[in-house]
Amino acid sequence: MSLKLQVILLVMLGCLLVGMVTQIKRKKLDLKYSLSWFVLIIALIILTCFPKLLIIIADFLGITTPINMIFFCGFCFSLVIIYTLTAAVSKMSDNIRSLTQKIALLEKGEEEHE
Amino acid sequence: MKKLIIIPAYNESACIEQTVRDIQKYAKEFDYLIVNDCSTDRTKEICEKNEFNLINLPINLGIGGAVQTGYRYAYENDYDVAVQIDGDGQHDASFLTQMSKTMQREGADMLIGSRFIEKQGFQSSLIRRIGIVYFTWLIKLLTGTTITDPTSGLRMINRSVIEIFARDYPKDYPEPESVVAVLRKKKQVKEIPVIMRERQGGSSSIHSAKSVYYMVKVTLAILVERLRRYE
Repeated sequence: MSLKLQVILLVMLGCLLVGMVTQIKRKKLDLKYSLSWFVLIIALIILTCFPKLLIIIADFLGITTPINMIFFCGFCFSLVIIYTLTAAVSKMSDNIRSLTQKIALLEKGEEEHE
Repeated sequence: MKKLIIIPAYNESACIEQTVRDIQKYAKEFDYLIVNDCSTDRTKEICEKNEFNLINLPINLGIGGAVQTGYRYAYENDYDVAVQIDGDGQHDASFLTQMSKTMQREGADMLIGSRFIEKQGFQSSLIRRIGIVYFTWLIKLLTGTTITDPTSGLRMINRSVIEIFARDYPKDYPEPESVVAVLRKKKQVKEIPVIMRERQGGSSSIHSAKSVYYMVKVTLAILVERLRRYE
């Protein structure tokens, strides 16, 4: 990996990290759901700083170009994050449905009381 | 015995009044509840003007969520029997009394009004009938029970099934899937011949591209339901 690429990647990841922390500070992002993003970014930063590590892992997995290893890892992590989101959305839509019904039933009960 | 008719209504302003009048005329021993699924037409106004028994959902939940609201209402208000009929005039209220008698006599937990036992009245389009035959076959294969009309919306259930549905009911296209869930819980499901009319107003929620989604979704739902374990 060339130094140039390393610097570009580090700057990009740094911006991402700072941006995310700012969002969490402003309470626009829930820490609970951003943990997986943290793990992803920090892992990528470590790998970018120590390309040797990357070569070792890539070699171990049989991937010839170490940079492909970064893309591959990023891709896998992204899939995990998207999956987590799908699960969260499912849970949330269930909750919303249940709440909507509860509100409607409560309103009905109140009406009958009057 | 307290009996409730649940009428899910989404933009049914054309038919809702007639549906309720029919109930008041032909199914006197039943209470009814209209679940207005956040309609965008005058359904709500019409119901309020006529002082119909109405429950309004603050956001649109789709058919499954709307009907389930009715089941939760039935559960909370200690109803012994609940039956779902559509707000579009497809179902004839005069069958309800006979249905509840049959259900008691046969000791069924769930009684489905089937169009295809005596093959009278509106029989749906050919392509839909093919879909229905497929679901009948699939349910027979997975549960061993023959349900001639698994997509029928006209279904009467007793307290034990009300409890199941109040807790857990599919979100969209719920009929075939929920029949399998009830069968898997070792409840008695019976069918009774009924005559259905063509819908009098409103439009079906299932058409063209959606029918592909319908087939795939319901098939998967039934398969997953079969995998669930109940003690």
